[in-house]
Amino acid sequence: MLIEKAALPASGRAPSPGLRLRPRLLRGALRLRRVGTVGLVVYALGLGAVLGLASANWATRGRYPFGGVVLNAWTAWPKIGARDADPYVRAIHARTGEVPLALGEGLLLTALTDDDGRRLDPSCRYRIAGATPPARAWTLTVERGRHAAPAEPQAGTAPPPPRTGFTSTEVLRDRDGRFAVALSPDVQPGNWLPMPAGEGSIRLVLRLYDTPVAASTGVLEREGVPSITREVCP
Amino acid sequence: MTPLGRFVLATLCGLVLAGLVHVATVLAIPYLSTGDAFARSRTTLANDTSVLVHAAETGGPAEAAEGWLPRQDPAVAVGICAYDLDDGPVRITAETGPLLETIALHGRNGAYYAITDQAALRGTVELVIMTKRQFDEALATADEDERNRDVRIIAPSREGFVSVRVLAALPSQQAQANEAARSVSCTIDGPDE
Repeated sequence: MLIEKAALPASGRAPSPGLRLRPRLLRGALRLRRVGTVGLVVYALGLGAVLGLASANWATRGRYPFGGVVLNAWTAWPKIGARDADPYVRAIHARTGEVPLALGEGLLLTALTDDDGRRLDPSCRYRIAGATPPARAWTLTVERGRHAAPAEPQAGTAPPPPRTGFTSTEVLRDRDGRFAVALSPDVQPGNWLPMPAGEGSIRLVLRLYDTPVAASTGVLEREGVPSITREVCP
Repeated sequence: MTPLGRFVLATLCGLVLAGLVHVATVLAIPYLSTGDAFARSRTTLANDTSVLVHAAETGGPAEAAEGWLPRQDPAVAVGICAYDLDDGPVRITAETGPLLETIALHGRNGAYYAITDQAALRGTVELVIMTKRQFDEALATADEDERNRDVRIIAPSREGFVSVRVLAALPSQQAQANEAARSVSCTIDGPDE
């Protein structure tokens, strides 16, 4: 340490013109010279630990960072239940306790945006329509980062909890077997999916159960996924 | 080296170190976690039937269930049953009903097998989970005249759990789905099988 301190001024060159232009940096550098090697090592270790742990925490919070197959607004996650799932997926499952849909069970698709790429806005009305990929059954649900706390049940007067999703059996269809779900904060005719109250971003989740799609997502591209169209925005 | 150069070098070292710490942490989380489904399922090891961990809630209030799963499909009831192959092969028997039911086998590293109720024979899905060694033993001691109709699955490791998902396609099927997710039996197969 002492040797380092003594050696530094000797090896230090005259400040370059660039440094003179940036006096604050120079002052910082001068202060650093006093801090010495031990300080720099501690700084590097601290930087590594803090950045490494923070980024690992951020990457495994709960949303899969990569490995999805993007189809319009939807992202399919065929690998999350497989044995060759990537380490991030496994870390996320370990932290959340999730039991993922296995490859032969079904397929999970999520959407955070509409078809134009805009994030789903809780105050807007959306139309989710079209056909779904082949599956024995599917469910379409809407989630929010943090749901509003459920109201305390009062004797007799408590309204039923709002609908959070549709299953393929209960959704109303037109003559061709296609469906249209209206995701809106206001009551809508037909398949009304109430916009969930609470905080955080809106996420649409489509789960296909017992589907041949799970084996290859190429089928998804051919058969198409439901479209998400923004209709009215106040 | 100028002080600024030393500072930049230390920052670069810190960034490289951060990358190493990041990778090591992500890889270590599954082994250190006590809140993952595998660790949580260990409490059900003594049960002979699956435990409901997520109740379907499409019609009316949800039934009480162990609520450690993150947000699930509200129309699906999830049951879980842990196994340990140390005491012998484990037989999974599920009586399927009119509802869509899927059964998946999970090891420590994720699911390794899944089957749906379409594979049911006379309304029953029956699987036998065994280790490679138990499988070889069963083959060696098998009676050649008798056909074995079990679906035998070789597990990658001794410990794991079975998950059952039952879809309540209509709100009126909620109770039925919960019951089906709760009633899968997982028992240790007799050594004379």
